[in-house]
Amino acid sequence: MSIGGKKIDKLGDNISDSLFEFAQFDNKEAEKIGYTNYSYWKSTWNSFTKNKVAFLLLILVIVLLAFTMIQPFLPGQKSPTEIYINAGTNLQDKNVVPSSKFWFGTNSIGQDLWARIWSGTRTSLLIGFAVGIFEAIVGIFIGALWGYVRKLDVIITQIYNVVDNIPTTIILILMTYVLRPSISTMIFALCLTGWLQMARFVRNQIIIIRDREYNLASRCLGTPTRRIIFKNLLPYLISVIMLRIALAIPIAIGSEVFLTYIGLGLPISIPSLGNLVNEGRILMMTPSLRYQLIFPSVVISIITIAFYVIGNTFADAADPKNHV
Amino acid sequence: MSYCEAKDNKEVILSVKDIKVNFKLRGQVLNAIRGISLDLYKGESLAIVGESGSGKSVFTKTFMGLLESNGYIDGGSIIYKGKDLSKFKFEKDWHGIRGKEIAMVSQDPMTSLNPLKIVGKQVQEGIELHRNLKGAEAKKLAIKLLEDVGISDPEKRYYQYPHEFSGGMRQRVVIAIAIGCNPEILICDEPTTALDVTMQAQILDLLKNIQKEYNLTIIYITHDLGVVAKVADRVGVMYAGDIVEIGLSEEIFYNAKHPYTWALLSSLPQLGIKGEELYSINGTPVNLFKEIKGDAFAPRNPRALKIDFELAPPYFEVSTTHKAKTWLLDPRAPKVEYPKALKKLFDEWEG
Amino acid sequence: MIKYLFKRLGQSIFTLVIIITVVFLLLRLMPEEGYLGTNADKMSDIQKETILTNLGLRDPIIVQLGKFYKNIATGDFGKSITYRPGVKVSTILAQKIPYSLYFGLVAIGLSLVFGVAMGIIMARQKNSLFDKLGTGYIVFINAVPAAIYYLVIQLYVTNTLKLPILFDKSNFVSWILPAISMSLGNTAGYAMWMRRYMVDELNSDYVKLARAKGVSEKNIMVHHVLRNAFVPMAQYLPASILYTIAGSIYIESLYSIPGMGGLLVDAIQRQDNPLVQGLVVIYSSLGILGLIFGDIAMTIADPRIKLEKSGGGR
Repeated sequence: MSIGGKKIDKLGDNISDSLFEFAQFDNKEAEKIGYTNYSYWKSTWNSFTKNKVAFLLLILVIVLLAFTMIQPFLPGQKSPTEIYINAGTNLQDKNVVPSSKFWFGTNSIGQDLWARIWSGTRTSLLIGFAVGIFEAIVGIFIGALWGYVRKLDVIITQIYNVVDNIPTTIILILMTYVLRPSISTMIFALCLTGWLQMARFVRNQIIIIRDREYNLASRCLGTPTRRIIFKNLLPYLISVIMLRIALAIPIAIGSEVFLTYIGLGLPISIPSLGNLVNEGRILMMTPSLRYQLIFPSVVISIITIAFYVIGNTFADAADPKNHV
Repeated sequence: MSYCEAKDNKEVILSVKDIKVNFKLRGQVLNAIRGISLDLYKGESLAIVGESGSGKSVFTKTFMGLLESNGYIDGGSIIYKGKDLSKFKFEKDWHGIRGKEIAMVSQDPMTSLNPLKIVGKQVQEGIELHRNLKGAEAKKLAIKLLEDVGISDPEKRYYQYPHEFSGGMRQRVVIAIAIGCNPEILICDEPTTALDVTMQAQILDLLKNIQKEYNLTIIYITHDLGVVAKVADRVGVMYAGDIVEIGLSEEIFYNAKHPYTWALLSSLPQLGIKGEELYSINGTPVNLFKEIKGDAFAPRNPRALKIDFELAPPYFEVSTTHKAKTWLLDPRAPKVEYPKALKKLFDEWEG
Repeated sequence: MIKYLFKRLGQSIFTLVIIITVVFLLLRLMPEEGYLGTNADKMSDIQKETILTNLGLRDPIIVQLGKFYKNIATGDFGKSITYRPGVKVSTILAQKIPYSLYFGLVAIGLSLVFGVAMGIIMARQKNSLFDKLGTGYIVFINAVPAAIYYLVIQLYVTNTLKLPILFDKSNFVSWILPAISMSLGNTAGYAMWMRRYMVDELNSDYVKLARAKGVSEKNIMVHHVLRNAFVPMAQYLPASILYTIAGSIYIESLYSIPGMGGLLVDAIQRQDNPLVQGLVVIYSSLGILGLIFGDIAMTIADPRIKLEKSGGGR
């Protein structure tokens, strides 16, 4: 073996000869890798905030939520159910257009629309969150079992096929008759018909990843089913689950509007966004009274769009493939 | 035509000068390719060898503008037929290059083919694009190509879908597609990695025959020295985004000069004494996020010199066709012995 | 394949029977006063009992079920009891279905054409202004409850364009707005999925190879990606078409279209059992048929799929 090659590029030969001695070989230096300090949730947050629209909407939602909570305690707020009598005419202050006294005007029996809208928002949001969380818990639990335990798959699929085809309207109407219209009835009824879709969705996702190699490996190691579901499968599904929960709110609001439309909504004594839209609809032919439809519609639109965008953006941000 | 003959004709068809490629990754910059210069001669078979992450694929992707969206060329030039490919900005700039001049056979035959299109049409597509044939004429040629790559019953198989072919067959189809385009240069990115060993030999033979018949220049990207031995005229060894040694096949196998090449060769499993450990290279590939001072291989090199940590070595010529970037070739460097495992390998080869 | 279809049909009939029976039983849980009409409080107990017995509601459940299935087998869905007393259920349906069918099919046609086109353009020009506007439209339609934007559209469009508000069979112009409104939702759906699938396909290996072959971006879109992206959607197409019969409860009530839209709700509220049962039979059958046709459509679109091992079964 010969040494002594010819240098190809001209380098400054001001290199000291001492540099041509052997260096100390350090095993540890050889193992040094680049630690990129990757944190999943931090990356998710960064990804999320890159989307300016979603970030703004998130702030908007937080402000809105805070406001709905504290609105009744602010000074000068009126009660949403009190019927206001006009001092001058001694009649109900009906259908007053927005003014300095009634910021959003009044409805057809003299109630303050501003207060009613916020009260309705509170109610609708409450229903939405309650349904969303319940759907999540029950849906994920059943969906996970359905998807993972093969023996249950056939049975539950059959049950699903039957239940899915039963018109939800029948169940909703039955519920309303039996339990009398109220907030809890509505929450209960919506939950009853809603968890099914979440369960099916979770089940489909789990079937897709159930047989991937890392789960196969866990099974070979004897990991109990419960641990596989909680540690292997569900974390993967977190982003899609959060998306479904975030979407549950617009969907619940939509269902509430629908139910009110067909007459199964909350009693009119409880203001809700669905009720308000309905009340406004009746008057929409009169141009001057359109504000009664417009205000609740705008509020609904803002809330639903906000949750939808936040949910979708979060789901995209939580996907590790997008953490580049 | 072998490399030597080609070099005598001195026809360089692709000339890369000091090309640098970076990737934007999680807010940081990754120096994937750190200034490579290479001349490709018409008609040769050049193999680029290196471990995963050395940058082999990235290097060749720059010739076709197929870098990922977060990758970009940060300097240097790629001259092909008078044009600088590194300066292309738009998709349509690549119009006359991709397929027509440079074609690629990629690694995974399972996913390289459109699952919903019949195989024949996929071959025909390239033909109709680049050979000025249409319709029945193109179809005839497509069937002939399928036969050339060793697919039996080509008229029937023209109408079949990719999932009706086995892995080795699919790779042949991919090769047929590449040839259909009538390119000058064929880049084969790990063409046999996804196949079993018996299929490997067949595909490599196929490629050699095709090279002769169609007068192609082929670049093989591989981490498998066995593949290199079978097909390559010239071998370039890549480490950490740089070509650390390049030379004729025989020169690299029998007269390697760079410690990394020695390490690679030593890692070839040999028949040895039961109970003796197999050789493996210490440490892990270098972090390319940081600027590298000196020789990138130094931290893992038991024979590193102090200067390896200070100054990056230039190319030292061992022969007109063989050069290596290592300070060990400097006249001032001390004499170094081959590693034990490598000596054993040489002994075996002689025996 | 034929054998498989028969097996599916058999399973479906079994499921259908269970569904109809369950609904049948649920309906009988409704309060009895509902059957008696608005004058219920004025009736004597004997009158109430007579009515209920005449309606067959006093027979044991098994007998009621038996009679019901016997009639179904001969295609007799019975007569409406409270919605339009005495009129045959099949007559009521025959009058209403054509309207819903018409609007439904037109709406699907429109939404397919516009939705798919929109999705393609959005995928091709990802992150352009068109893409952003399209996304805004999709977000709006998906998030806001349909009732609201249907209302707002009816309100403002009829005002500004002077279109008729109520549907009139003879006035062609009055057919337009409801059809377009109905198509909005599905347009958003198709556009969203089309865009998503196309973007996914654009990242796949075979597209990279096609690009390496030198195929232009336009041709990649048209000849490779489009067809592949459409496959997942093919599954849902038959069901959508079949379900147009159900009509849209909002649109039909807003524009006073005498279609099937609000029929189910009305029938349930009025406790018109024969009508509800008839509707459930029809809707469930359509639902199941839609699934079967959807699976068939899937095999046609994607030659890799073989139906014998459908779903995630192992």
